[in-house]
Amino acid sequence: MATDKLAQLIKKREEVILGGGQDKIDKHHAKGKYTARERINKILDEGSFVELDQFVVHRGTAFGFDKVKAPGEGVVTGYGTVDGRLVYVFSQDFTVQGGSLGEMHAAKICKVMELAVKNGAPCIGINDSGGARIQEAVDALNGYGRIFKLNTLASGVVPQLSIIMGPCAGGAVYSPALTDFIFMVDKCQMFITGPAVIQSVTGEVVTAEALGGARTHNTKSGNAHFYAATEDECIEQVKTLLGFLPSNNMECAPVFACDDPVERCEESLLSIIPDNPNKPYDMKEVVRGIADNGYLFEVHENFARNIVTGFIRLNGRSVGVIANQPKVGAGSLDIDCSDKAARFIRLCDAFNIPILTCVDTPGYLPGVAQEHGGIIRHGAKLLYAYSEATVPLLVLITRKAYGGAYLAMCGKSLGADVAIAWPTAQIAVMGASGAANIVFAKEIKNSSNPEKTRAEKIAEYEEEFANPYKAAARGFVDLVVEPDKTRYYLCKSLDSLLGKKESRPARKHGNIPL
Amino acid sequence: MRKFNVTVNGETFAVEVEDAGSVASAPRAAAPAAAPAAAPLAAPAPAPAPAPKAAAAAGDITSPLPGTILKVNVSAGQSVKAGDVLMILEAMKMENEIMAPADGTVTAVHVAQGATVQSGDPLVSM
Repeated sequence: MATDKLAQLIKKREEVILGGGQDKIDKHHAKGKYTARERINKILDEGSFVELDQFVVHRGTAFGFDKVKAPGEGVVTGYGTVDGRLVYVFSQDFTVQGGSLGEMHAAKICKVMELAVKNGAPCIGINDSGGARIQEAVDALNGYGRIFKLNTLASGVVPQLSIIMGPCAGGAVYSPALTDFIFMVDKCQMFITGPAVIQSVTGEVVTAEALGGARTHNTKSGNAHFYAATEDECIEQVKTLLGFLPSNNMECAPVFACDDPVERCEESLLSIIPDNPNKPYDMKEVVRGIADNGYLFEVHENFARNIVTGFIRLNGRSVGVIANQPKVGAGSLDIDCSDKAARFIRLCDAFNIPILTCVDTPGYLPGVAQEHGGIIRHGAKLLYAYSEATVPLLVLITRKAYGGAYLAMCGKSLGADVAIAWPTAQIAVMGASGAANIVFAKEIKNSSNPEKTRAEKIAEYEEEFANPYKAAARGFVDLVVEPDKTRYYLCKSLDSLLGKKESRPARKHGNIPL
Repeated sequence: MRKFNVTVNGETFAVEVEDAGSVASAPRAAAPAAAPAAAPLAAPAPAPAPAPKAAAAAGDITSPLPGTILKVNVSAGQSVKAGDVLMILEAMKMENEIMAPADGTVTAVHVAQGATVQSGDPLVSM
């Protein structure tokens, strides 16, 4: 081949790789940020990245845009491996036209999304964009629309991860919102309408950070699942998460060699439940006590903390955990935690990840705000998500499991495969004091000393019902075990359920109460 | 904007209704005769507002649940470390620990032992 042909290729490629130019790259670095390609190379195994569509150019002509060069179209796309497993990736390049999204920018993103689905590999999107490229008008709008449609079609087929490492405002937020996980790095913001528009319309004064910063979305709105102080920390979280997920909905998550013995007795669990049922404890310690090497990788760690969601491994296998947290809000169920848990259950079910539910909840949170906020339909999501799930469902009841909340936390009737209870479990239609007041209302009313009678009747009810044996007598609890041996029984139960097959009648899709 | 007095179960509510222009009716065959002047479903009038409590200011630690203060561990001027238990709130039959979110000094304690609080009420300023 003539050397000038090769030289031409190399020159063209170098132009593209320089993105918006050295000046802009330096400015970007000065803000403590990596460039689009640096981010990809840090996520992927070294040297594994294959870049596609380097020479795509835009077709915009309005407002002199035909004279504007946008090397690489403001987005870097391609594929590579993470821990040896194929992933597709796109990364918006803020140094090129502010990472703005036009027709061909969107086309590059759509191509890798289609490849990810076709080849059954996760798709990672790194967002750092000023928004729609206004010069391209409806072509840009159409680009967003196509991405949303593909996000939706890929949902539940391959894992989709969105990383927010720059601005992400207006319509651009909806692609991440449609994916499975949103990672946000500090000082990056997401919102539909920004502070200026909000002030002009409603008069509310708010900073961009307070409105849509990483902390806000991780604590208040629940839009983001992971918070990271730096881009490096965020990249580590992405890699860790991928290790818990299969590449697509036809596979199981990778199984790792486990050096933590299945038979390990966790003695700390013998004393973790306080003698006083009104005292809280940290449910995460229970989960860690059971998990391989005590490792719990939390999802949505800072949002609706009265329920814990995350991943552990049992004998090397990935397991999704949903656990009431008595330490926060008494572990009661409310609107936000129902939404958080229901979505996590459906993620696990879509990707063949067995689910462990740890139960200690006094019930649904009473209050006008909850009722008017729609706790009926939000709480129903939990029931729906568990009932439709076909993955192995393990339940561990450590203490309180009352009434509707017991059912909502994967009650046996909703399809739990193995329900394990500790001797401290109290499975009943309601708590002792409430129940005694109703069942023994007459005796208490007619007593010469109602308070004494009430206390006696509460004790009587507790003796009779506040234990796991009434439920075990009906087979609603399969095993009552010593807390220190929980890990062994859960691992054995999971082993026994690996061949679980459950089919559902053909339908287009269910109608989950949204 | 027109004003109506609406009586529901013997209780009278003053309602203001705005005419939002004529709304095309859905072309539904054999639609039931429209109820006379079908006003949009009015939300029930709010219950009389409880005596306003001091609104929580930024930096205040607020009550996460409605309940009763069982124990107060700190007083104004005391310095605390992140994770210190400031008070115990009994709610949902649970002794919930209210913890300091960060190191700092308590500038004011808004509730006393035995007080009943709603969620969102300020407990401690730091």
